[in-house]
Amino acid sequence: MTKFRRLPAVLVTLLLLVAAGCSSKSGSGGGGETSKPLVIGASLPLSGDFSQPGEASHRGYTIWQEMVNKNGGLLKRQVQLKIVDDASDQNTVVSDYTRLISQDKVDLLLGSFSSLLNIPASAVAERNRKTFVCPSCGSPDMFNRGFKNIFFAQPATAVHQADLFAQWVTSLPADQRPKTAAYPTQDDPFAQPVVEGIKAKLEAAGIKTVYSKVYPPDTGNFDTIASDIKASKADLIAQGAVFEDGVGLVRSLVKAGYSPKQMFQTSAPSNGDQYSKGVGVGNTEGVFYAVSWSPQAKYPLNQEFLQAYKAKYGGVPEEDAADAFAAAQVLQAAVQAVGSVDDQAKISDWLHKNKVETILGPLSWDERGAPQQAFILAQWQNGAAQVVLPKEVATSQTIVNPKPNWGAQG
Amino acid sequence: MKLAQTILLGLLTGGVYALLASGLTLVFGVMRIINVAQGALLILAALFTFEIWRRTGLDPLLSIVVTTPLMFGIGWLLYRGMLARVRAAPEAMSVLLTFALAIAIEGFMGLIWRNVFRSVTPSYFASSFHVGSLFLPKGLAAGCLTAVVVLALLYLVLTRTWTGRAIRGAAENLQGAQLVGVRVLDVAALTFAIGVATTGAGGSILSILQPFFPASHYVWISKLLGIIVLGGMGSLPGAAIGALLLGVAENLTSAYISPRWSLVVFYVVIMVVLLVRPQGIAGSRLREDVAA
Repeated sequence: MTKFRRLPAVLVTLLLLVAAGCSSKSGSGGGGETSKPLVIGASLPLSGDFSQPGEASHRGYTIWQEMVNKNGGLLKRQVQLKIVDDASDQNTVVSDYTRLISQDKVDLLLGSFSSLLNIPASAVAERNRKTFVCPSCGSPDMFNRGFKNIFFAQPATAVHQADLFAQWVTSLPADQRPKTAAYPTQDDPFAQPVVEGIKAKLEAAGIKTVYSKVYPPDTGNFDTIASDIKASKADLIAQGAVFEDGVGLVRSLVKAGYSPKQMFQTSAPSNGDQYSKGVGVGNTEGVFYAVSWSPQAKYPLNQEFLQAYKAKYGGVPEEDAADAFAAAQVLQAAVQAVGSVDDQAKISDWLHKNKVETILGPLSWDERGAPQQAFILAQWQNGAAQVVLPKEVATSQTIVNPKPNWGAQG
Repeated sequence: MKLAQTILLGLLTGGVYALLASGLTLVFGVMRIINVAQGALLILAALFTFEIWRRTGLDPLLSIVVTTPLMFGIGWLLYRGMLARVRAAPEAMSVLLTFALAIAIEGFMGLIWRNVFRSVTPSYFASSFHVGSLFLPKGLAAGCLTAVVVLALLYLVLTRTWTGRAIRGAAENLQGAQLVGVRVLDVAALTFAIGVATTGAGGSILSILQPFFPASHYVWISKLLGIIVLGGMGSLPGAAIGALLLGVAENLTSAYISPRWSLVVFYVVIMVVLLVRPQGIAGSRLREDVAA
């Protein structure tokens, strides 16, 4: 009996859903007038595992939007951002971009954060022939699919991110060179290839691998991993970290009382105050990381970006905020040069052929959309992050080596 | 050496797990409610600890005296306001209800504390005792010790007080307990509140051991379910044994196979136990056909 009594309710719900579907369709048709704002759609991980960098990317996009609108907009239209939350989930990011393109009918797209999310998201964009500029999608898997409309708006892909670090290690005199190395890395398509890149180069130079393990993104406890590395007695540690895991491993290494001679981490140490507070300033001394952007760099608009960020959010921007800003700059340059958003194949063609000035420096791409420049190598010294290589843009002329014991600074 | 260190870390972690699982198994034992929201309440208590620590600088382990009554109150209200209403419904209803509750709490935490990782970092969180070449992280040791004390208190309350006897009586024979004058609804609310109150201490300890954010509760509830299934659903000593075993198993897997597989251990245990020995280590078999 109860089954039948529920039937009307189910039918009413169904009708309401159908009605809602119809009305949303009729609401989003038409378009084409120039007075209308130019809508740029993006899905970002504002919640879930990547919420921290996702939030930073959101800030970068927002600063760019405000700066562009203050200067008269893009193609004389005000820019409107439509940013949705994908909760760091691959399925959600796909449905987000599908909805942005087919229902919201946004004019342009910007990428999500992390290769993990951008790999599936870019497939949606490519299928719909939309130009897809992403601020963080350096995994090799991004560029081996023959896509023509994706562009990675950083100086280098993941495998080459730490090239300067590997070169520096292998160029050390024999008595300072590490003999063994440990490579813990998160199962992340952006972090893991960086560490594999370092590993390949150091192994080729005769540095023995004594620990190499992958841990899942939700790992919260690093005590076991730290005790393992301690047992392996590795001279050098190169960790593929995102953020919390980078902080977590340093804390656990401190607890285990094991300090390597050289320590390299991806991403985490580039988070400025958050990193030094997380691990304790005294434990930052000598930690290396590769970075796509530096606040000190004299590239056009970089200082304006710093000031706008400080005025709106306070403090120094995260690297991910700068990368997001640069991704939007890339899209802006191409749209301005082409003069229209109707045929995005033209926008993509233009990007394949031209160099764009960004706050990360000039960027250009090969036919796969992979960038052709190099990351800079930075190191924590006296409680502050310094650029150490290449020499032309270095802010510190010395490189701390070997890394002093934990707690040596501050 | 590596083996000894791994087992040591595993036992300490297991001690903390035992406390975290105690509330879940207690509530199941008395009321046959699988409180899927236990993980979310745990993170909520950790966030309370974080907030207290941020505002006053109070040591997270001392803030247990604040978080425990707070979580007790929340538990009591949740039972009286929501769970009491599905008492007569099939058990599956309580799973659905508490799952919905977990999602609601996650959303609430996201609104208030935002979806970023938090951790409480008192001065001792990154230091260790060194015994020979072994190291004992101070935070983990203090957390494990606190967990043992809280568990012992809980055990004493259950075995030495009339309230505890009423709770155990209701767990063993509901109608019998009613016959001798136990007010079952009050006992149920009290048990649920005690079960949730354990997350007060659990959350405070957790806050110094690992970074956490609202969605972390999914990982925790899966770990806790693995522990109580292994120990025997409803058995407090069983949960303690299960927690120690899985704490060690998790760490051994991480060290000797791969950290990738360490969380999987919990799921594998759930499957194997349900196939081979459904009542777990210390649980009792219940004939569902006549018991109803």
